[in-house]
This record gives sequence, C-alpha cells and structure tokens, in this order.
Amino acid sequence: MTLVWCNRLWALAFALALVSSGMARAEEKIYVVTTLPDLADITARIGGELVTVESLAKGIEDPHGVPIKPSFLPKLNRAQVVVVMGLEYEHSWIPALLSEARNSKIMKGNIGYIDASLKVTPKEVPMDLSRAKGELHPAGNPHFNLDPEGGRLIAQTIAEGLTLNFPQHRATFEANLKAFLAQLDAKIREWKIMAKPLQGVRFVSYHQDFTYFADRFGMEYVGTIELKPGIEPTAAHLVELVQSMKTEGVKVVIREPHFSEKVPSQIAAQVGGQVVKLPIMVGGAPEVKTYFDLIEYNIRELLKAAQAAGVAGKV
Amino acid sequence: MHVGSRALALLVVFALGLGPLAPAVFAQEKASELENLKKQMLQMEEQFQQLQQQIEKLETKKIQEVEAKANAALESSKKTFASQFNPALSLGIDTIGSYKSHRQAFNPGDGTAGTRDAGQPINNTRPAGADFNLRSAELFISADVDPFTRAYATINASADAANNDEAILSVEEAAIVTTRLPYNLTVRGGRFFADFGVLPHRHDHDLPFVDRPPSLATFVGGEAQTNGVEVSWLAPTPFFLRASGTVGNKLGADFRDGVSDVNSRPIKGLTYMGRLQTYFDINDDNNVELGGSIAETPNAEDVTNSGRFERRLVGMDFKYRWYPLGYGVRQSLTVAGELLHDLGEADPVNGGPRRDIFGNAVRQGAWGGYVYAEYRLSKQWRPGVRFDYFQLQSEPLLVTNSFTLQPASTLNATGHRTDNRTWTAYLTWFPSEFQRLRLQYNRSDRGNAQDANEFFLQWTAFLGSHSHGFSERE
Ligand SMILES: [Zn+2]
Repeated sequence: MTLVWCNRLWALAFALALVSSGMARAEEKIYVVTTLPDLADITARIGGELVTVESLAKGIEDPHGVPIKPSFLPKLNRAQVVVVMGLEYEHSWIPALLSEARNSKIMKGNIGYIDASLKVTPKEVPMDLSRAKGELHPAGNPHFNLDPEGGRLIAQTIAEGLTLNFPQHRATFEANLKAFLAQLDAKIREWKIMAKPLQGVRFVSYHQDFTYFADRFGMEYVGTIELKPGIEPTAAHLVELVQSMKTEGVKVVIREPHFSEKVPSQIAAQVGGQVVKLPIMVGGAPEVKTYFDLIEYNIRELLKAAQAAGVAGKV
Repeated sequence: MHVGSRALALLVVFALGLGPLAPAVFAQEKASELENLKKQMLQMEEQFQQLQQQIEKLETKKIQEVEAKANAALESSKKTFASQFNPALSLGIDTIGSYKSHRQAFNPGDGTAGTRDAGQPINNTRPAGADFNLRSAELFISADVDPFTRAYATINASADAANNDEAILSVEEAAIVTTRLPYNLTVRGGRFFADFGVLPHRHDHDLPFVDRPPSLATFVGGEAQTNGVEVSWLAPTPFFLRASGTVGNKLGADFRDGVSDVNSRPIKGLTYMGRLQTYFDINDDNNVELGGSIAETPNAEDVTNSGRFERRLVGMDFKYRWYPLGYGVRQSLTVAGELLHDLGEADPVNGGPRRDIFGNAVRQGAWGGYVYAEYRLSKQWRPGVRFDYFQLQSEPLLVTNSFTLQPASTLNATGHRTDNRTWTAYLTWFPSEFQRLRLQYNRSDRGNAQDANEFFLQWTAFLGSHSHGFSERE
C-alpha cells in the first residue's frame, strides 16, 4: 500500500517537474497581455521574436463589456507587461481584473502598465462628467484605433513602453517600430487615395466609434442609433434620427458586429440606404487578421456601401 | 490629391508650357511631341502631389507638436487638483415596493414547552400587505492607503419597520487589503463579507433577485459579515484556482457569535472559514465555475439556549454560463446554485435536547440551497426563475418513518412538513448599466408556517464610480 502511494507521488512530482520546466521555457520570451486584439497585433510587430502576445478580448466582442472571466487572471498574473487602449475604453472590466491579478508590476501607474492612448489627443471629451451623457466614453472617444494615424501613435507608445521595461532590447524595438511605421506610411498614402470617394459621405453608426476614422477620411457623422454611448435607443430617438437622416440625405448605416442587425436594417430601409457591418477591432470579421486588414477592410466595405447607396463621390 | 488641385495642375501646365508651344503643335502635329507634353504634364502633376504631401506632413507635424504641448499642460493642471487624492465614492439607492398576502410566521404549535419558533415572524421585519421600503442607501468608499495597501468601506442606512421606520446607520464593511504581497498572497482585515459561497458575500442590492435566497437568509443570516482576517492565494497554475482562509468572530448575522460581556471567549469560539474555487472555459462560449466552502466554529455559544456547541456550515456552489461572444448575439444564459449543509445546535428546541443512547447531545444537520436560471434576452431584459429549499435547524424531534423504520425529520408537532420551498419568477430591466428595475413573484410553501404569495418591485440606482469588483462579476 505505502509502496504504491510512494510510486504515485513520484509520478506526480515527475509530471509537475515536466510541466513547470515547460512553462519556464515558454517564459523565456517576454509575455505580454493586451486587452484588445489590435494592441496584440501591433505589439507582436514591435516586439517581434522577443515577445509572446495574447489578447484577452476577441475581435467580435463588445470591447466595452468584455465578460470578466476568471481564466484571465492566471494570464495577467504571469504577464510581464499589460497593454490597454486607455481613455477608459476597458473601464468596466480591466480594473477589477488587475486588482485581483496579484501582479503589482502591471498595476496602473507602474511601468508594466502601458496605456496606448498616451499620445492621442482625445476627441469628444465631455465638458462635464455627468452620466446623463452616457456611460462609456467619460474620457473622450476611445476608438482612435480605427484611424491609421491612431495606429501610428499606438505603435510608438508600445515601443516606448517596451523599451522602458526591457531597455536591453531597445535597438530591436526601435528597428521594428521603424519598419512598422514605414509600412504604415505607405499604406496610409494608398488608403487616402482609395478613400477619396468617401469624402463628404454622411453616415450614422450604432455606437459612436467611427469619429476618428470619419475625420481622417473626410466623412460626416450625422448621429448614432444608441441614445448615448452605452445607452440603448428610445423610440423617440429613432424617429428623430431617421428624420435627420432624411433631411441630410444619409444613406449609409454602420453596424458593429456586436450589435444586432434588426434596428440598423430597419433604419436603412426607412431612408432607402445601406447597412454595412464593420469590425471595430482586429478579428471582428473573418478576413481581418491584422491591423492593416482592419483599416483596409473598413474603407473597402464603406466604399461598396456608399456606391450601392449612390452617395459615393466622384474622383 | 483633390480634383481641384489636378485641374490647377493642368492649368499651370497650359499657362507655362502648352500656351507658347501651341502653334508649333498644331503646325507640325507630331505624335512624339504630344507624348513629350503628356510626360511633362504627368511629371508636373507628380511634383504637385509631392509638394502637397510635404505640406500635409508639415501641417500634421505642427498640429501634433501643438497638441503635445497642450496635452502636457492639461495633464499638469489635472495633477494639481487636491481632489485627486479623494477616495472613489459611490452611492447605491435600493427601494422596494411589495405586496405580501400575509406576514409569514411560524405556526403557533400546540403550546408545549420548547416551541421557541411558535408564532415568530420569519426573516422579516416588514409588514404584510402593501409596503414601500428604502432597503438601503449604501455609501461605498475606496482608495489606496499607500503603495502597499488599499482600503474600502460600505456604510449603509436602511429604514426598518422594527425601528419606527427610522434609518439605522451601520458599517457593513470596512477593511484594509494588501496590494503588494509576494507569492500571490493577499491579506484582508477588518469587517468584511467573508469569502464563503457566492451570493452570501454579495450586498443585497447586487443580488440577481430582489430578496436573498431564503436558504441563505436562514443558514448564513443575510450577508456573510465577519470581523477578522482573511488570507487568499491565487495559485500559479495555468487555470484559475483560488483559495482563502479566514478567522473571524462570526459568519453572517449570527446572533450566536458568543460575544458577551460576562464570559470570555475561548479561541475555539471563533469561526474558521475556508474556500476553494476554480473555473474552466469549456470553449469560447461556455464556462463553468465550481467552489467549496466551510465555516467551522468548534465551540460556539448559543446565547439564547445558554449552551455550547460545534457548528459546521459546508457549502458547494456551481455556475454554468453560456455567453456567446459577438456576432450580433447579446444573449446569454446563467444557471447557478449553492447547496449548504448546516450541522450544529446540539440543543434543539422543540421537545428539548436530543440525546443518543448514551445520553450525549446529538448534533443535527439541516440541508438547504437554491438554484436559478437567468436568460439575458438583450442588454436590457433578463427574465429568470429560482427554486429554493431548506430545512430548519431548530427542527422538532425526529420521527420514525413508518415504512423504512429509519428516523427522519419530516413532521413537527402540528403535523406540518418542516421543509421550506420557495418558487420565484423575476424579470429585470436595465435602462442603463447604472439603473435597474426588477419585478419578482415568490410563492413560499413553508413547512411549519403559513404559505405566502409575495410581489416585489425593486428600483435601484448607482451614483458615482460604481464599478463591479471581481467577486461581484456577473
Ligand atoms: Zn465606445
């Protein structure tokens, strides 16, 4: 009896040793956890071979309301660096996780906590912080990732953050950042030409998330289906929205993947327009696998919708 | 490059190049010259584009510089506000309107000695019939104390019929929590809701229902309040595994915590609690949470019966969630429940102490628990059903089952079944994340008490920085 137990204990110890040595090998790379997939994609570009990156949220989720899963805790507990979008984008879920992760390195205010919004000039900053204005954008609009120039600022901030944490790899991060930005610059030139017909195109979306994108490519935001960021529409609000869409000739309705089809398509039908389903993060559509894919996909799909609705400009 | 600028480029070409050359072109009509002109035009257009790009670049650079300066100024001005050091504040207001068919109380019994519960109201100080009740106006305060600890407090004022509807101010929680201990450890001390089960350490207004499940209200006595010290540990495993141990003076609204100004309390009179919980993602959309808890008081004092006994409360909990991520679906399903076993009270009341054949006092166990299912139809609407069952600790003598000849606790002195069932249906509406209305119906079938129908309408709002902590997650 005792002999059997001894054998079992030895087997268990052996198994544990195997597992832990495997984990140690995996952790030779810098382990970075990001809240959202865009940050993971860009961090992987900056960190290159040096990092293993994991995003907590998936691209199809509602980034403001990611469910607090206990399985996130072991990841945050092991993380050497955490990257958040910032501007209170993840305020309903990341603070609770960080305060329970028992990893003081990545607590807000420490160098392991990289806030990707640091270089961003926020738009739509509320003049007074009242919940009567909605609940999700208290520090201004946090959807700057949809603007490729926002991508530039994110990449620069991540490179600086990684360098601060791992100064011995400064040269690698700088070189990777340079390569990324060169590619981004070329793409932005391409996208600007590609998006020319979108100039002056008026649109509405479900959530107030295309502000930075619209400003970059000269589109005009007319309103949102949501009453305020995070507040579902009332009937009166929808009537008003359709009325203003009719007077302003709005034919394009953007629907983000985490909102249901019903209301956007009803509204589009009422104004004789088009619904276009656009991801707001990497992974939000099956084809969108990288940050570059995200911007390009959104421009392409908007062009299609604008052309189908007959509101695309002539180049 | 805009349409306008291209036209401009053409104009420039015409003015500078084509104009003077025009006669020659028309005279000779040479294709090669036309080609040359075309090339020139293209070159000039390209130069124009480059110039424009440079201008744009310079402009954005300038704007960025200005913005950076403005940001820096803004940041520094923010930091000088003294309010930066103020703690986070939030206030929860929880109002309940209700109609109850009658006040629930234990049946009077036959008047024999020891029928302690006879005629007593159950878990409730609110009147029967129509009622409005500000159940709680609860202030929550939290902040970092220093780089090593944070602290929080919950101050509650609730109006109670038993107190002429005057609000009683109480400190529900006030605790200090470490933030930087090594080895994944956290220590919490003060008054707090002990880490026992799932819903016992939720505040009333954070429950998924209007009322606390009757089994928890009976076994734990409302919120799992204790005064003591807790050590918790997050296992460094690839999956979630968390353990905690607590020493406190009591668990919940336990009037038998043995505090008396006459007798000293032995160390065994404290309550020792432990909890282990884990979580698994079955896949992206389905997950399961499991937990086990124990609260042991080796030598508790029953003030009412002036006796000492060992009390052991054991709990098991589970939660299954189907939460499909994205793709336009905002629906989810939660099925969760807790099962409790309360072993204690060597000195049951109805019929006097129970003794074994050697004359020693026999402890008596009671089972209880609840299970609920809630379906989220949309961001705003959540209907649910709940079933709750519990046995009473202060149960009458065991009777012999005439078929099995085994002792069982089924009947009391008045012939009623002594187990208690409550069927519940509810519907919650969230106009926003910070406001909630809930309609609930309870059908209570209580073994040795009157049955009752109860209707509730609850309206709850949160002001300020109400953010759900990890243990209050959905
Ligand atoms: Zn948003």
